[in-house]
Amino acid sequence: MIETTASPFPAIRLRPWLGIAATAASILVTWMALFWAPTDAVQGDVYRVMFVHVPAAWLAYLAFVVVFLASIGWLWTRRPWFDALAVASAEIGVLFTGLCIVAGSIWAKPTWGVWWTWDPRLVTTSIMFFMYLGYLILRSLSTDFERRATRAAVLGIIAVVDIPIVHLSVLWMNSLHQLPTVMRIGGDPALDASMGMTLGFSVLAFTLVYFALLAERMHIERARQQRVLEARR
Amino acid sequence: MTNLPFIVAAYIVVWGGIAAYAISLARRRGQG
Repeated sequence: MIETTASPFPAIRLRPWLGIAATAASILVTWMALFWAPTDAVQGDVYRVMFVHVPAAWLAYLAFVVVFLASIGWLWTRRPWFDALAVASAEIGVLFTGLCIVAGSIWAKPTWGVWWTWDPRLVTTSIMFFMYLGYLILRSLSTDFERRATRAAVLGIIAVVDIPIVHLSVLWMNSLHQLPTVMRIGGDPALDASMGMTLGFSVLAFTLVYFALLAERMHIERARQQRVLEARR
Repeated sequence: MTNLPFIVAAYIVVWGGIAAYAISLARRRGQG
């Protein structure tokens, strides 16, 4: 039996500030990525797609790790707040994964000569996209609050296994995709300092965007939860 | 800048996609 819809953490009114900070950071980082970062010696300017492609991928990973943790939180405590966090993060993770795939495809055409190839990184990322899309569809199959949250939590815990598979697929199998450049096992980032700084700011901007969207989506979900639970009383 | 159409397309897709999602959230919140 659900007794409270309250957050297990102290409420902090960050939502309006997050939106403003995310918008400002996005504008700044777009200028850095397009005009400040130097041209790459091998790829020319098209490598600048990296500054949106890579952060979208990393934030998708983060979003799905949050789904995993929130799913454990729901199963452990039965607090609806965790279920709201899981669905909000899953939706944003699917968005970022989709954007990462499309941006990657646009980058692939001038560098690889094709929009799509059956490369391990591309295939495992697509599997991740469809798994979490399935997670969102699964949630719509039941109207019972607890049953839906519990089924989704089980899938949210299982699906996280795909994240290390996506990241390490380029090392485990022959791949056309570039090897890890920044998060390399046992090595420093293989990236020029100014490019690395731009990528760092880009990741920061995407992180702000993620939290701004998460706060907004959670607000909607918690209002919906309250309506459902009040109607049941 | 070489391959400019590809770069512009990627940025429009990513930032446009995020903006579209943010607008959809604002609408959903408005419908309450």
